[in-house]
Amino acid sequence: MSVTLQLELLLGSVCLLAMIFYMLKKNLLSVKYSLLWLFFAAALILFAAVPYVVYVLRDILNIEIPVNLVFALLFCFVLLVLLSVSVAISQLAEKAKRLAQSNALLEKRVRELENKLNQH
Amino acid sequence: MRTLVLIPCYNEEENIRSVVERLQATCPDVDYLVINDCSTDGSEQVLRENGFNYLSLPINLGIGGGVQSGYRYALANGYDIAIQMDGDGQHDPAYLHRVIEPVAKSELDMCIGSRFLEKEGFQTSFMRRLGIRIESALIRILCGKRILDVTSGFRACNSRMIAFFADHYASDYPEPEAILSATLNGFRVGEAPVLMRERQGGTSSIVGFKPIYFMIKVSLSLIVDRLAFSRKGGACK
Repeated sequence: MSVTLQLELLLGSVCLLAMIFYMLKKNLLSVKYSLLWLFFAAALILFAAVPYVVYVLRDILNIEIPVNLVFALLFCFVLLVLLSVSVAISQLAEKAKRLAQSNALLEKRVRELENKLNQH
Repeated sequence: MRTLVLIPCYNEEENIRSVVERLQATCPDVDYLVINDCSTDGSEQVLRENGFNYLSLPINLGIGGGVQSGYRYALANGYDIAIQMDGDGQHDPAYLHRVIEPVAKSELDMCIGSRFLEKEGFQTSFMRRLGIRIESALIRILCGKRILDVTSGFRACNSRMIAFFADHYASDYPEPEAILSATLNGFRVGEAPVLMRERQGGTSSIVGFKPIYFMIKVSLSLIVDRLAFSRKGGACK
């Protein structure tokens, strides 16, 4: 890995980290979902600051160019995040469905109570 | 036996009144509940003005989520039997008791009104029949249960089945998926012959080449369901 790439990577990951913290502070991102991102940003910083880790990993995984390892890991991470987003959406959809059903059941009771009251 | 008829309704302003009135005239001994799945036409107004018993969903949940709220209502109000009947006039309330009977006699936990057992009445288009046949074969392969009319929304459930559906009901393609999940959970599922009519007014949501697309999606969902959930035998013992 060239020094320029190293610096770019470092700058990028520090920006990412800063964005995550900013979003956490503004309550745009919940702690639960920030963990994966924080872990990712930390790993990127580690790669940029200590390229030795990348070289060792490259040798273990038998990948030609060290930077390809960084790209491959990036891609894996994005897949992981996408999957976790799908999980979150599924759970939200289920909760929204339950809520809508409960709301409809309650609305019916309120409507019937109101009708009863109006009759008196 | 306290019996509740669930009538899912989405944009059925032309049909819903005659469907409910016909039901009341044919079977005065059963309660009914129309589930208005956030219709965009005047369905809700029709329901309100006629003083019908109805649930009004605040957001469109689709047939699965809508029917499930009906099962939740049936569970909360202690009904012994719940029957689903479409809001488009396809299902004739004259056959209601035929569908209820096997459940009332506790021969079955869920009984599906099938138009293919005696092959009479409206048999739907060729494309759809082909799709239904393939789904039927697939369900047979996946859980060993032979059900002919897997997409029929005319079905009766007993109180244990109601409790199960109130908690787990597929939301995407609920009719075939419900058969699979009920069978895999040890419930007894079967069919009773009924006659169906062509829908009375409005338009169906599945037309043209959509049956093929629909069938592929349903098949995949069923296979995924079967892979994801293992068979539990204990539910009916």
